[in-house]
Formats: sequence, structure tokens, C-alpha cells
Amino acid sequence: MKYLIKRAGFMAFTVFAVCALTFFLMNVIPGGTAELILKHTLIGLEESATEEQLSQISSRYNLDDPLYLQFYWWVKEAVLRGDIGTSYIYNKPVLYLLTLRLPATVQLAGASMAIATLAGVSLGIYSALQENRISDHILRIVTLFGVSMPGFWIALILIIIFSLKLKLVQVSGYGNLENLILPAAALSLHSVAAVMRVTRTSMLETLGQEYIRFAKAKGLPVWKIISRHALKNAMLPVVTVIGFQMGNLLGGAVVIEKIFAWPGIGSLLVDSISARDLPMVQGCVLAIVTMFLLVNFIVDILYTHLDPRIRYG
Amino acid sequence: MVDTMDNAFAKKLKKEDVLITEVYGSEFSKRLFQRKDMLFALVALLLFTGLALFAPFISPYDPNANELRNKNLSPSEDHLLGTDYLGRDLLSRILIGARTSLSIAFGVVLISLITGTALGCAAGYYGGIVDEGISRVIDVFLSFPGVIFALAIMGVLGRGVFNLMLALSIVQWAKYARVMRGQVLSIKKQEFVLSAVTSGADDFYIIRRHIVPNAIAPLIVLATIDIGHVILSIATLSFLGIGLPADVPEWGAMLSAGKEFMRTAPYQTIFPGLAITFVVVIFSILGDGMRDILDPNHEGGEIY
Amino acid sequence: MSLLEIRGLSVEFPAGENAVKAVSNVSFEVEEGETFGLIGESGSGKSVIGLALLRLLPESAVISGEVIFQGQNLFSLKPSELRNIRGKKISLMPQNPAGALNPVLKNGLQIEEVFEERRVDKKEGMKRSLKLMKKLFLTDPEKLCTLYPHQLSGGMRQRLIACMSLSFEPELLIADEPTKGLDPEAKAGAVDLFTKIKKEYGKTMLLITHDLDLALEVCDRIAVMYAGEIVELNEASKVLNTPVHPYTKGLISAQPRNGLVPLRGQSPSRIKLPEGCFFNERCRCSGIECSKKHPEIKKHKGGWVRCHFQSLQ
Repeated sequence: MKYLIKRAGFMAFTVFAVCALTFFLMNVIPGGTAELILKHTLIGLEESATEEQLSQISSRYNLDDPLYLQFYWWVKEAVLRGDIGTSYIYNKPVLYLLTLRLPATVQLAGASMAIATLAGVSLGIYSALQENRISDHILRIVTLFGVSMPGFWIALILIIIFSLKLKLVQVSGYGNLENLILPAAALSLHSVAAVMRVTRTSMLETLGQEYIRFAKAKGLPVWKIISRHALKNAMLPVVTVIGFQMGNLLGGAVVIEKIFAWPGIGSLLVDSISARDLPMVQGCVLAIVTMFLLVNFIVDILYTHLDPRIRYG
Repeated sequence: MVDTMDNAFAKKLKKEDVLITEVYGSEFSKRLFQRKDMLFALVALLLFTGLALFAPFISPYDPNANELRNKNLSPSEDHLLGTDYLGRDLLSRILIGARTSLSIAFGVVLISLITGTALGCAAGYYGGIVDEGISRVIDVFLSFPGVIFALAIMGVLGRGVFNLMLALSIVQWAKYARVMRGQVLSIKKQEFVLSAVTSGADDFYIIRRHIVPNAIAPLIVLATIDIGHVILSIATLSFLGIGLPADVPEWGAMLSAGKEFMRTAPYQTIFPGLAITFVVVIFSILGDGMRDILDPNHEGGEIY
Repeated sequence: MSLLEIRGLSVEFPAGENAVKAVSNVSFEVEEGETFGLIGESGSGKSVIGLALLRLLPESAVISGEVIFQGQNLFSLKPSELRNIRGKKISLMPQNPAGALNPVLKNGLQIEEVFEERRVDKKEGMKRSLKLMKKLFLTDPEKLCTLYPHQLSGGMRQRLIACMSLSFEPELLIADEPTKGLDPEAKAGAVDLFTKIKKEYGKTMLLITHDLDLALEVCDRIAVMYAGEIVELNEASKVLNTPVHPYTKGLISAQPRNGLVPLRGQSPSRIKLPEGCFFNERCRCSGIECSKKHPEIKKHKGGWVRCHFQSLQ
């Protein structure tokens, strides 16, 4: 329990640190902010701003104040009213825009995580039990390529094969399960390979432990030794890796969403970067980081549940 | 299934019950040559670096020469891998692209390695408030997805080789610092360091002569694998159009341009991706092999 | 007829292109009701013998010879028949109690599972085990069952393991290095434990140890092993008080209370064993014959010794 409270505290600290980091990052270009706001909202992108307009904007948004004061006000607004800024382009609250895009990303990342876990763990166990046989070697070579291929390239290849040549699924679209297949497959492949690798190593390591030999000496049948004695122990490092993979999935989702025109936070982030819509960029980063931290918090809870040494340590 | 469990035992048993020191030599080179996959990767890497270095001399065409009447050609004798939408020879561009990716990746890893080593050393060696401060920063940097942060930085800084290296290094260094800190903590307690301290050597000397050489092995392993990861990140950012300027030949950017012609000219998508995969695979194999050679105990088997 | 008869047991582990000879041509008998000690330094092959009996060695190990237990050759049993013997008729008390207990399973389950697949009532079995635990100096056994292994002390873990091994009052108990890695206090406890087991259960025991004190206290007969073969076999008091083989003598004078005189040199390479006596290089009284001819084991004063000069001593 104490451990989890500590973890929750660290999570809050990290979110705050990321807020600060992104906030200062967004404001490192001196005088840039006022010009950006002007171009997006008042005068149009082609015209250049006059000194007068710039100083008007600066005083309206308190841009002349020192950064730490601006950050203080930003945090105050965020905590009191949930206001984390207004998008320059859409001219709407960032938080509102994020809630519109969140479901799509959760869907995509969730599906990929499920695939990565199920396929990765089962293939890893299979590979470990077949150690050094042909199927193990083939799986290991496949994983090597799996972790080495860029996710967006896999996505493009999948599109070429399944959409353009075989015409089985549409390239883009959002809403039904069929649309989810290609993006989720492309996004999860890297993680499937990574999870499988760890599962294999961990399973082999576990099978070499003395308690496995003792379980054999007790006269237990093989399936019981694997399911009861090996699996739970072998899963400990795997659970941690699955948590870390969430980071890769969310990072990869940015590209995958862009390729498949998936209306999630990732594609919003890329569009906002191209348009230099800084409040939106900050909001997207915050949303993704928070998701990642939440998943890892859940993973931590799971871990303590699996390992009594932490629970009662 | 049964004998898999047995083989796992075998590894343990060999360590415990039987003296097998005579089987495995301990020298680096001997172990290197026992691993065929490593040799293969090493040769492939040398070949590839050679191609990248001498790209301007071996490329069949000028990688930047537009020839619009030859645009989107399929692979043929003249253009082994075809041409892109501006009629530029794809093979020449992939070769020159290897330079971009490899040099930026080496740079990023080197910067991260040096920064990480320095900060990790400081944290581990001095402990106390220095450690506390550096460790918290490391924790924060490691606790969110790197690509996202790199994206945000690039979003602010804009495209460019220097910006890209800066963004990726900011994301990468923390990993090295954490590993280094752990290494220093364990080495600090060993006798040869203690005796150096008691004999009055200054901190910098101890760190340089005793700690870094003994702590660096896992970082080298990490760096080797990381080169592959960084190449992937570079490609990802360029693919999204926020990595390098448009005129720098780079694999990710080539893929991005090629994807517009997926229907009619799929090879423009296939070949640059193959190049990325190939290089990353090489560094994965090298990294794994280095780990086995430099850090033979990492399997976690206890010997007693 | 003896309870256990080992005839010409050899074990080799393939290592690259060579083979490591862990045990070469070992034969001995264990009589019903006796405690037979196998002693020798680490790497002498004694633990390998224990594991080979129950066929717990890796498949890669090349095993030859015969092990006759109650008239059955253990090496020709089917896996299911072997499982019926493991834990029930022959049990193994593994070395390193910390490693032999599964860290993520409760102690209770690990005791209980011995009764699974045995056509025994689990509750009945558990009742017996709880009684047994009390007898083996474990207080409050019910509570122990709800705990995890890491919550017990080293001595308690060993008792727990002893209890698991004795669940079925096996005909033969193989205790592998029971005092290895224990602190002096727990070591003294282990001597008590084994005296108790011997007195209360009176069953046959094969005690594998390098702890001469324990061996003298508990064993009836002792075989001394060196480089994978038996060099001396006799009644315990005779071996330890009036040793004949130079190696046994060296082993005894290397004991702390005998002045800690170490044996010089190292055991020979097990891949290419010397032509003559394996102990030749370290022996204080080797002759010309010793480097040329490998000595056979011969009868000497009621016991067996493998030395060219036994008649002189």
C-alpha cells in the first residue's frame, strides 16, 4: 500500500514536471508567442504584425511577465477550471478538443496493447518451451525483424498488400472494427516482438530455477509445473515490459494515426506541430504522458499483486 | 517440453557441479569469433559504413539530380531500384541516406553517452543531494514516451540537423545516466576504489581511472542497441515531416514521399524501409552479442 | 537385498565438442534403514548422483549404469511410473532451501501439492503434514501455511522442505547438501533435525554433504568421492577417525578444528582426466605406479579403498 501511495505521488510529480517542461519549451522563443497568436487569430498568416498589435496582445495575455509567473497562472487556471489553454487554430479550449479525440486513441492503443500482450506472451512461452528447435529459431528471427522494422513502414506495406493489391480492407476510415484491424496490427507488431522476447528469456530463466526441479522431484506432472510454478514467476518481468511498451505504442500511434487518418490525439499532435499551434501541442503531449503514466500505475498495482515479496516486503 | 526445462537446468548445473573453465576462453576476441551471427553483423556493418562513406563515388547517379522525364520509373537495369517522383535515382538516394542516418545516430548516441556518463557518475559518486537531484530528473525523463517529447521539441525548434540531434539527445541521455549511476554505486564499494580513496587520489582521477573503465561495459552495449533505435526515431520524425529539411536525403523522408505513389510505384515505399530494417537489425545483433560477451552474467545465474 | 543398488553409474555433460565427466563408474548399495553419506568437495559429483537417481538431470546429460530400487531399474521406468516414485517412495531434499521454494506461492499450497495426483485425500494429507511440522520444531504451522517463503527464516525454510519431502514417509530420502549456505546456528539446528528424522522415521537416507560433522553425527556408512568416483567407503566412524585414502586424510585435516591444513593443488580437469590416479598430483605419498595406472577400488579392512598403496597404510 505504502509503495503504491509513493508511486501515485511520483506520478503526480511527473505530470507536474512535464507541464512545466512543456510550458517553458513552448515559450523559449522570445516574442514568438505574441506573433503566433496574432497570425492565427487576428490578422491572417500572410500579413506581418505591427509593433502596436504585438504589444496589445502581449499585455492582454500577460506575455511581458516573467515566465514563472505566466506558468503560475497557467497552473492556477488548469487546477481551478480545467483550462489548459485555447487552441490558436480551432479557437476552442484545448481540453475540449482533446476529449473529442481521446476515444480514437484509446481504442487504437488499447487494441494494440491487447494484441501485444496476448500474442507476445503466448508466442514467448511457446518459443521458450521449444528452445533451440526449428520453430524457436524461426520465431526468434521473426522477432528480431519485428523489433527492427519501423512501425510506419509496416503500416505502408500492410496497406499495399491488403488494401491496394488484395482490396480486402479500406485504407482509412474510423468507426467499425474492420477499420481497426490494419492500424492495430501495424502498431502492435513491434510490441508483440518485444513482449515475446522478454517472455521467452524470462520463461527460460524461470525454468532453470531450483523450485522447478523441486516441483519435479515432488512428482508433479509437467503441465502443472509450467502452469503453476513457472508461469507466474516468468510473468513478473513481462508485466513491467508491457507497461513500458505502452510508451512505444503511444509514440508509434502518432505516425500510425497519421497514415490511416485515424482521428486520435496522435494525428492532432502532428497537425498542431505543423501549424505551430503550441497550446494544442502542449495539450496533446500532456494527454499522452498522462495516459502512459496511468497505464504504468495500473501495471504497478498488477505487479504488487503478482509478487508477494513486494506486497509484504 | 520436458527437455527444455532440462536444458535450463543444464546451464545451472554446469556452473555449479562441474568445472568448465577450460571450455570457454575469457578473451574478448575468442568469444567474438565463436558467435557467427556477430561476425555476420560486423561484416555487414563494415560493408554498409563503407558504402555510406564512399556513397558519392559509387552512386550510379547524382542523388539530387532531378530528371522529371524519368520520374517514378520501376526498377530496371538503368535504375536498379527505380526512381522517385522527381526522377532521382532511388539507389543513389538510399546510399547517400545511409550517411545521414548513421552520422546523426552516431552523434546522438555519443552525446547521450557522454552526458549520461557524466551525470550518472556525479550522481552515483557524490550521492546525497546531488544524487537526489539528478535522479529525480532522470526519473521524469524516463517516465514518458521519448518520441512524443522529441516531437514536441521539434515542433518548437523547427526542422534541422542540429535541432534533430538536440531533440533526440535530450530524450536519450537519461537511460545512460541511470545505468551509469547504478554501476558507479556498486563499483564505489569495491576495494580498489576504497584503496585509491585512502591513498589520497582526487575525485576526478578516481572517476577517470577506476570507475569509468569498470562501469562502461553495459553502457557500450546500450549504445550499440540504441543506434538502431535512434535511426528508427530519425526516420519516424522525418516521415512526419518534422525531422530534417526537405532537401536532405533521408530514408524516412523518402518513405513519406514514396507513399503518395504506393498504388503505382510501391517499390518507392519498400526499398527505403528495407534499408532501415537492415541497419537496425545489424545493430540489434551487435548489441545482443556485445551483451553476451561483455556481460556474461547478465542471465542472472548465481554462482556459489 | 539392498533397498538401493547403484551399479556402474556414469554421468557426462556435453560441453561444446568435449564432454565433462561428472561421475564415472560409481557403484554402491544402500541397505534398508541405514543412513548412507556421500561426502566430498564441491564438484566431486556427489550432487549429480543424487539428481541422477530421480532422473532430474538435464536431458543433455549422458547417463549410463543401473539404479535398482526395490528390484526396479529406475532408468527404465516410464515417465508416469517415475512420477509415482518421485516424492512418494523416494524424495529429494534439495540444497538451497531459499531457491527450492517458489517465491510467489504460499507455503501451504507448496506443501499441499505433494498430495495432488496421488489418490490421497488432501485434507487428510495436510493434517499429517501439520503434525509433522510440529514435530520438526515448527511452531504454529497453520499460520506458516498462509505465509510466503520470503517471510520465513533460513532454518524454517529448511524444515518446511524437510516436511514436504517426508509427506509420504518415503522409503528413501535423498538429502542434498542440507547445511550448504546455512549460518552456524542453523547448521547446528540441521544436525538436530536430521537426528530427529532418523530417530522418528527410521527410514533409509542418502545424505549428500561436505559437512563432515553432520556426516559423523548422522551417517552409518560413508563413501568419499573425488573427481567423480568413490575413493573410500566404510563405516562412518572408521572413515572419519581412521581414514585410509590420502584424500580422505587431507579432507579431515582441512577441517577447522584439525588445524585447517588445506589440500594443495586443484581437482583435475574433468574433460581430460589423468591417466593414472586422479589424486596423484595432489597426493603426499604418490609413487611411480600412481602416475601410470588408474587404481581399482579394493577391499581393505572391512571397507573399500581406491589406492595403490592401501596395504602400506
